[in-house]
Amino acid sequence: MAVFVIENVEKTFKVGEVVERVLKGASLTLEQGQVTALVGTSGSGKSTLLTIAAGLQQATDGNVIFNGYNLKNMSHEQIRQVRAKEFGFIFQFAHLVPFLNVEEQLKLMLEVAESKMSNKEQQEEVDQMLELVGMTHRKEAYPPSLSGGEKQRIAIARALIHKPKVLFADEPTASLDSKRSQDVMALIRHLTKTLGVTTLMVTHDEEMLAFADRVVKMSDGVILQDE
Amino acid sequence: MHLAWKEIKRNKSKFLIVGAVIFLISFLTFMISGLANGLSQDNAALIKNLPDGTFYMTETAEETYTLSQINENLQKDILEDFEEAAALSIQMGFVNDGEEKQHSVAFVASTASDLFPNIEPGEIVLDESLQEDGLKVGDVLTNSQLDGEFTVKGFVEQAKFSHAPVAFIHPDNYKEMYRTDTMQLMFVQGEREEISGLQAFSTADFLNTIPSYSAEQLSLNMIIAFLFVISGMLIGIFFYMMNVQKFGLYGILKAIGLKTSALFKIMWTQMLAVTTIALVLAIMLSQGFQFIAPEGMPFHLPFDTSWKLSLVFLSIGFIGATLSGLQIRKIQPLQAIQQGEM
Ligand SMILES: Nc1ncnc2c1ncn2[C@@H]1O[C@H](COP(=O)(O)OP(=O)(O)OP(=O)(O)O)[C@@H](O)[C@H]1O
Ligand SMILES: [Mg+2]
Repeated sequence: MAVFVIENVEKTFKVGEVVERVLKGASLTLEQGQVTALVGTSGSGKSTLLTIAAGLQQATDGNVIFNGYNLKNMSHEQIRQVRAKEFGFIFQFAHLVPFLNVEEQLKLMLEVAESKMSNKEQQEEVDQMLELVGMTHRKEAYPPSLSGGEKQRIAIARALIHKPKVLFADEPTASLDSKRSQDVMALIRHLTKTLGVTTLMVTHDEEMLAFADRVVKMSDGVILQDE
Repeated sequence: MHLAWKEIKRNKSKFLIVGAVIFLISFLTFMISGLANGLSQDNAALIKNLPDGTFYMTETAEETYTLSQINENLQKDILEDFEEAAALSIQMGFVNDGEEKQHSVAFVASTASDLFPNIEPGEIVLDESLQEDGLKVGDVLTNSQLDGEFTVKGFVEQAKFSHAPVAFIHPDNYKEMYRTDTMQLMFVQGEREEISGLQAFSTADFLNTIPSYSAEQLSLNMIIAFLFVISGMLIGIFFYMMNVQKFGLYGILKAIGLKTSALFKIMWTQMLAVTTIALVLAIMLSQGFQFIAPEGMPFHLPFDTSWKLSLVFLSIGFIGATLSGLQIRKIQPLQAIQQGEM
């Protein structure tokens, strides 16, 4: 059974009198341990689809099924719990909490995900994850003193520290230079494989497609055939 | 994780500024209430400090105590019927000391009672403020309307009427000075009871029959009320603004998966911590001011008042914070994510 199924998802926005159909029946099935890259022209609806899949906004119609559960039938609190425990997000900007240091960013995520680990185990987990993203030496640093690439690596660590089943990434490398982008993508791929995550990633960068197992194209609100 | 404290620790100057503003506002309110209270006390401490009870004056006096004349027989009956009761008269006047210096006083004469100093004819007991004018026990004072003299027997605290120090004298001296055979008022301690021919007043009602007192009290109360409403609103608005600035942050915390209740907890903890510290400092400083206030400056701020004012400020801050908090519930994590770099 597929971990994540997006089925005929529709989304319309009403801005004043104007009704805009952004998603027109998008369908996509994601497999565990795979990085799926979503590409398409600007405005084709990639971010909208990703945020609907991640439970950050609701579809107008259609189904988003995670582990056999339809998000449509869940309460706000249930969706929050799924987001906190089962999903991880990486966005174009890191969105770190400005008053927490690197280590605390990750610990907060474990706390929100209601981790059952002891403090000692959590610390080990955090140390391991920081090692993985190569940020051990900055574990006491606060976000304002980190570079863009460093922030993004912390955001990746935070998105994965609680071992989510699904990782959503919307242009995770957009704010990074080419070398850093390569590193970050290699990291996402590596973690997807080692942790058995299901990863859906939006990117504009052709170079990044090399790190994906599968590339799907979106056009005018629908998913086209796999390339 | 104590997000509320972590944020305060990382943004000390921001919270310090908010705290300082709340401290200054509450300190200002405490000081002005102290002064207003002091003025009101200066005007009526003699009456305000009496135990709960009822004042009586004749109905024909039409609520003007100086026109009231209690019939001697009725006075006798009342004093016999009630345990703690006294007949009382108050008149503004002057005493002259040995150096022919004139002191403005409120003469108060009462029948023997535990409520007022016990005085023999020819004796006088003064409010302590007259000590600062150089009067002392044993001094001899005179009054133009009295043939004899007064000897200062002692001083009492907090005996002020109509902004003048009270001079307690014996009813016989009073009657001679003001050429009358009757006392103006009856004061009976305890439950209110109707007495035929007399109009009964609670302490507050009685004070309001004194025109100078009620007018002054009205302006003082208005000053305090305005100050209170405005400073309360300022505090509320401050917390509101502080929260509005943080909507982006709250959106991110929501996106991570924090519950809305956790965000409320952060907000309340910070609001309570900042306000409590500011209020404690303001209370300490305004209470301390009582000790260094220049002599003769009417400043009266019972601890009880500070404490009640603080509670009101805390509730107002709480309401301000919570009102903006209601908007936190509406924050969409998506908005924060789409808003770019934090
Ligand atoms: N909240 C909204 N209200 C109204 N219209 C919206 C909203 N969100 C997105 N849209 C519209 O939906 C369309 C798709 O937006 P979306 O962000 O999904 O595109 P995208 O494929 O991610 O584009 P890009 O590659 O530029 O990020 C756009 O035309 C956008 O204007
Ligand atoms: Mg997009």
